[in-house]
Amino acid sequence: MDLLLSAASASFTPVTVAAILLGSIFGVIFGSIPGLTFTVAMALAVPLTFSLDQGAAIGLMLGTYIGGMTGGSVSSILLGVPGTPSAAATVLDGYPLAKKGQASLALGMAVAASAFGGIISLIVMVVSVDLVASLAMNFGPAETFALLIFGLSTICGLSEGSLVRGFIAGILGLMVMTVGVDAMDGVRRMTFGTVTLQQGINLLVAMLALFAVPHIIDAFVRHFQEERTTKQVKAVGVELPRLRDLGRNFWLMVRCSLMGTGIGAIPGTGGPVAAFLAYAHARKTSKNPQEFGKGSVEGVVAPESANNAVTGGAMIPLLSLGIPGDPGTALLLSALLIHGLVPGPMLFIESPDAIYGIYIAIILAYLFVFAFQVAGIRFFVQLLKVPPHVLAVAIVIMCGFGAYSVRNSVFDIYTVAILGAGAYGLMRVRIPLTPIILGVVLGPAIERDFRTAMILSDGDLSVFFSSAPAILFMGLTILIVGTQVGRSLISSFSPKTPGIGRNAPVSSEK
Amino acid sequence: MNSMKTLLAGGAAVIALAFGGAARAQDFPSQPVEMTILFGSTAQTIGQLLAELMSEHLDERVVPVSRPGGGGSVGYQHVQSAPADGHNIVWNSNSISTTYYSGATSFDYTAFEPIARISTEVAAVAVNANSGWETLGDMAEAIREQGRPLRVGASGRGSFTHLATEAMLESIGLDDQAIHVPFDEGRAPVELLAGRIDAAVQWPGQFISHHNAGKLRILCITGTERVEQLPDVPTCNESGAEGFEMTMWRGLAAPAGTPEHAIETLEEAARLAVEDPRFQEAAKTIGFVPDFAPRDEFGEQIAADDERLAELMTRLGLSER
Repeated sequence: MDLLLSAASASFTPVTVAAILLGSIFGVIFGSIPGLTFTVAMALAVPLTFSLDQGAAIGLMLGTYIGGMTGGSVSSILLGVPGTPSAAATVLDGYPLAKKGQASLALGMAVAASAFGGIISLIVMVVSVDLVASLAMNFGPAETFALLIFGLSTICGLSEGSLVRGFIAGILGLMVMTVGVDAMDGVRRMTFGTVTLQQGINLLVAMLALFAVPHIIDAFVRHFQEERTTKQVKAVGVELPRLRDLGRNFWLMVRCSLMGTGIGAIPGTGGPVAAFLAYAHARKTSKNPQEFGKGSVEGVVAPESANNAVTGGAMIPLLSLGIPGDPGTALLLSALLIHGLVPGPMLFIESPDAIYGIYIAIILAYLFVFAFQVAGIRFFVQLLKVPPHVLAVAIVIMCGFGAYSVRNSVFDIYTVAILGAGAYGLMRVRIPLTPIILGVVLGPAIERDFRTAMILSDGDLSVFFSSAPAILFMGLTILIVGTQVGRSLISSFSPKTPGIGRNAPVSSEK
Repeated sequence: MNSMKTLLAGGAAVIALAFGGAARAQDFPSQPVEMTILFGSTAQTIGQLLAELMSEHLDERVVPVSRPGGGGSVGYQHVQSAPADGHNIVWNSNSISTTYYSGATSFDYTAFEPIARISTEVAAVAVNANSGWETLGDMAEAIREQGRPLRVGASGRGSFTHLATEAMLESIGLDDQAIHVPFDEGRAPVELLAGRIDAAVQWPGQFISHHNAGKLRILCITGTERVEQLPDVPTCNESGAEGFEMTMWRGLAAPAGTPEHAIETLEEAARLAVEDPRFQEAAKTIGFVPDFAPRDEFGEQIAADDERLAELMTRLGLSER
């Protein structure tokens, strides 16, 4: 307790608080602009920390990380384009909510769920850092592979009616991510002998292509087909969520937060995986699963609480083992190092005050982000007054700029255009885009963990069924895929009866 | 955002030029210098700090721009094809040789003009403390006795830590009794702690905290001399891998054909940056050795290392040249 107090007094210096505030705002802005992610924001923040002292430097980085993770929901809801890959799952219901005129409700719920998820993960971190770290350590390549395959099985629920189309989409997503240099054997795949293609397809670039470009094309097509409606104007009321709305989703938020914390603690998974799994979970446990995809509040709350819980989860292996779980925490790690803090088991023994400083910085960052975003809602929703074709032009610019900023490579701008045009074509032939995104998010990690597991077991496939977590996730996957395929077969061979299998989850992104 | 910075700095330069009157006799740098950074994580942080400190000694800013991918080939290609006027430089490393010999790039180190060596880093070989192995010799003996393969975690095939691993295994006679398990950044220590691999070769920073906590044991470091952070840890040469040594250097280079005076100006700024106490301090915490060498000496080292890596990669079957 003394330590907490001394850390608190150390953290509450004006410079530190200002750094956290600045970082939070910086992060929210970057997070909410499609294409600019918290990873980019954090890379830019590192040089700013050089001249700051330890507490302020860490505060700035944490604020940016948390702000960016939370801010991603803003453009997901308002524009239908995720601000960061972690917010991709939020688009599925957040955007339909905005179209129904409930943008402010969705934004409010998203930020509340985010802060809730973040704080829950912080509590887990404070209470059981060693326990979670050692549990996460049991997740070797085989177990992680099983978890990721389980994540991929949620494609079944996201295929919008046709399982076959869903599988086609998922496989396309997996295939896109094989372009480039394979990280394990250094093999150059589908590079056609060029250096440019060795960069491969960046996750964020693929997201922009899949979410933003079809929207943009669609907006222009509608505009030139003279479908200029004025329906948006009345929608700009500000209706903030009430405590009752939060109370109704309390247990869902708790479950998704714990899920996010756990997934965040496993290196090599991260925000997008957690968000999609939470979304699938919410849909499965919901009383109104048919609402999903059409604007369900639960569909916003679940991924947003999970992706922010990842921040706390990812801090667990970072602080206790010195292992960064994603590019964001890798940058956080180097900022910690440059200020003389070496994460790992000795950190808790040698500098407990720094650990408490980190906890306090996280709490403050959430307070600031929450206040900033709630205050911002009434300004954010004004965006909806902008006619779609005008907005589309702005999105084109942001996407180009965002794609370039990921790796300072013009190749990424072309990639957005090419993949995006392809995605629009797929949308027109009714191939759902969400499973593609799932394939894109999970593909590289699935491949990596499968191959590592195979190298470790010397090619013995039984490793995937030799530990409790692996058996659990593999079993669940088989169960889900089995029942879905079974249902789909039954409904295609029996006379068409409404309400079964392929007719059930029909929804549209348009 | 970096391009934004460049833009702002560029705008400022134009204004300064317009109001400041006559340009200097030595008209370099006349615009911000773009430093391409090839890798993320600590390499990126050191590069950013170096750029920051070099800016203090030049008329223009040095702007770090990250161009990762392809094990460095993407960034090398960018700088190699950029105008050779000194405003485009690369934060390079031994990867200039490995990318060429693995076939990822079509040009070798001669496509660049060395500016200065900045730092050196050595990798560390670690095992789980429960293994009871104190030296590389112990490890080799135990593995031979047990007649099972040694699972060694390192970064992907053809990376510096992978080459160091293979060369080290060769010198202790375990090269045909080992399995290389490639991990991306940071995962090898977990696998080692959990007992899924027998040994790992990574940067010492990933192991130090676990080493001090008594969970992992760093057997040796791959350089010729012990490092300051780990005074009790021997070199691999002392630990049973006789004659083995692998050191990673980092430095700055510009496209071939860059004017001499530009190179000299940058070399001087780099020297002052490395001597800066802030750089020395960061080195201690991040875990690298500031090790400035002027361009002639740096050039000789690049050439010598290139020859060595070519020979090693050919022997390991990793060369496509």
